[in-house]
Amino acid sequence: MEYVEEKKVVDDIKSVFKEVDCIIKRERRVEVKLPKEKLLEFALRMQTNWDFPHLSAISCVDWIDDGEFELVYHFWSYNRKVLVSASIRIPREENAHFETLSHLWQPAKFFERDIHEMFGITFDGNDDMSKFILEEWDGPPPMRKDFVTREYALSFYHFREYHPEWMKDLEGAGEK
Amino acid sequence: MEKQVTARNVWERIFTKLNKRSLWMLHYCTGCGAIELPPTMTARFDMERFGIMPMVTPRQADILLITGYLSLKTLKRVILTYEQMQAPKWVVGFGSCTINGGMYWNSYITIKSLDQYLPVDLYIAGCMPRPEAIIEAFNTLIKRIDEGKADAWKDYYRNYDFYKENQRKVLGEFETYVDIKADAKRFGIV
Repeated sequence: MEYVEEKKVVDDIKSVFKEVDCIIKRERRVEVKLPKEKLLEFALRMQTNWDFPHLSAISCVDWIDDGEFELVYHFWSYNRKVLVSASIRIPREENAHFETLSHLWQPAKFFERDIHEMFGITFDGNDDMSKFILEEWDGPPPMRKDFVTREYALSFYHFREYHPEWMKDLEGAGEK
Repeated sequence: MEKQVTARNVWERIFTKLNKRSLWMLHYCTGCGAIELPPTMTARFDMERFGIMPMVTPRQADILLITGYLSLKTLKRVILTYEQMQAPKWVVGFGSCTINGGMYWNSYITIKSLDQYLPVDLYIAGCMPRPEAIIEAFNTLIKRIDEGKADAWKDYYRNYDFYKENQRKVLGEFETYVDIKADAKRFGIV
């Protein structure tokens, strides 16, 4: 594999952000690890200088042992056909928060609402942090690693007891 | 007095006789189980030969088929839908998920047994139940309607407090648009 376009993207990034960790994962995939202060500048350059008009997703990882949340921003370029995943790490706190990207990309509003719901991270500057998918939910953020879903389900829902003798009269019903 | 009772029973028997051959199933799919319904409805298994057809509005439907897992968000919509349906109405729980949570046994957002929230007439076990099982279930339902045994909907009016309490427990306070207690008086159930 030549990785022509991927190398150009890495060169672009290296020309401005000299210190950052930037590797080609495989064909059409570039991974960047940024300090969290650099993300806004990076996103702005992606959008305006380097032809990455599409923010395709924001994902979140809970590194509970490191005490950190990792936010991964995926940028896609239609012309260059490269997906750049830029990841930053923020401290893992009860009220973790980070700055929004919704003024650069409208769809970021939805991604951030989703992350707020699942991980409890607040995005400063995003005015809509209301419930997104889990409308009826008011427990803790369910995708955090310290949320034990089994315990919650046992305490919250009614479980049916198992009575095998109830099925006796059904045995052989399908063989008629 | 006794004559009246027998007369009503005859009417009831006529009603159920007519009812059982003209069932409209609400075309509302909650989970992955809905994928078994197209073959059940269409030419291969053809549930129309038993007089069952899909219906798009809850107010004109008789059967509410809960096809698969119910998240809390869906449960609220199902309750609103169920209360809009005109009695007599029947609920069929479809697949393991409605019986004991199925493969979502430790999920934080799906309910584990449907009969805590709605009165269920019939459960179809399996993941997924094949169209044969659905046809078998419909035949059982028809038989029970004919015998007058499928009256779980009366249970909803009788034990409304129990169902409402359970619904409140998982969903919190929410508004439904049908006055169940007034309806129960109208039907002479309470």
